[in-house]
Amino acid sequence: MGMMSTALPDLDRETDLRAAPDEPWQTVVWNDPVNLMSYVVHVFRTYFGYSRDRATQLMLAVHHDGHAIVAEGPREAMEAHTRAMHEFGLWATVRRGNE
Amino acid sequence: MTPSVVFGLPRPEADYLRELVEQYLELVTTPDDPRDPAARRLSPDAYPDDPDAAAEFRELTRDDLAATRAADARLMLAALSSPHDHEGDTEPAAILTLALDAREQTAWLRTLAGLRLVLAERIGISDESIMPVGDPRFDVYEWLGYRQEMLLQSLDA
Repeated sequence: MGMMSTALPDLDRETDLRAAPDEPWQTVVWNDPVNLMSYVVHVFRTYFGYSRDRATQLMLAVHHDGHAIVAEGPREAMEAHTRAMHEFGLWATVRRGNE
Repeated sequence: MTPSVVFGLPRPEADYLRELVEQYLELVTTPDDPRDPAARRLSPDAYPDDPDAAAEFRELTRDDLAATRAADARLMLAALSSPHDHEGDTEPAAILTLALDAREQTAWLRTLAGLRLVLAERIGISDESIMPVGDPRFDVYEWLGYRQEMLLQSLDA
């Protein structure tokens, strides 16, 4: 066992014991004039396993708002999703969640 | 297990589709010309605001992406080339009967999407309101969309 130090730390300094939060990253799918709405819903359902309702909601968000966040999580996973979206011909990008 | 989807394709359509997919296969197995907007559309920048990260992502994914596209196209070509005709028939059947398993369904959907993206770039569909009626390539584009829609409907049925 160590000896108690008599020197007090500077208690005015804030100490943050929390682990650095996992930076949330996002996969974003952007609207394009080519891919069929039914195809985009199909991709969201089969690839991400989203329900028909959720997939349709996301597709409509892409269509009307120009883009939608389709997944959030660690950067590597978001890059893997983006690559998969590219395989399907969807226009997808990766970004930091706080942007 | 996802059941196979079975549908018929009139022979002239199947032949034409095969020609298109052969061209597509050639396109995706040729090294990307960065000046070709169709190549850019098939492999968009993953990091539009960060050229270094975008280049790194492209470098890491390019080969796999090309290999997936080529494998998809080859699966589609194999299905389109299988005669499915009755033995003894001298003439090929007027309708090609196709039975696609789950892997083939994905290959068809992705290849049809890729073909449409390339055609859209070639004929300048940069906006949903642009419909170059009269351009024969636009008819092909619409027909591929129709075929993709039919396939999606039979998968959902």
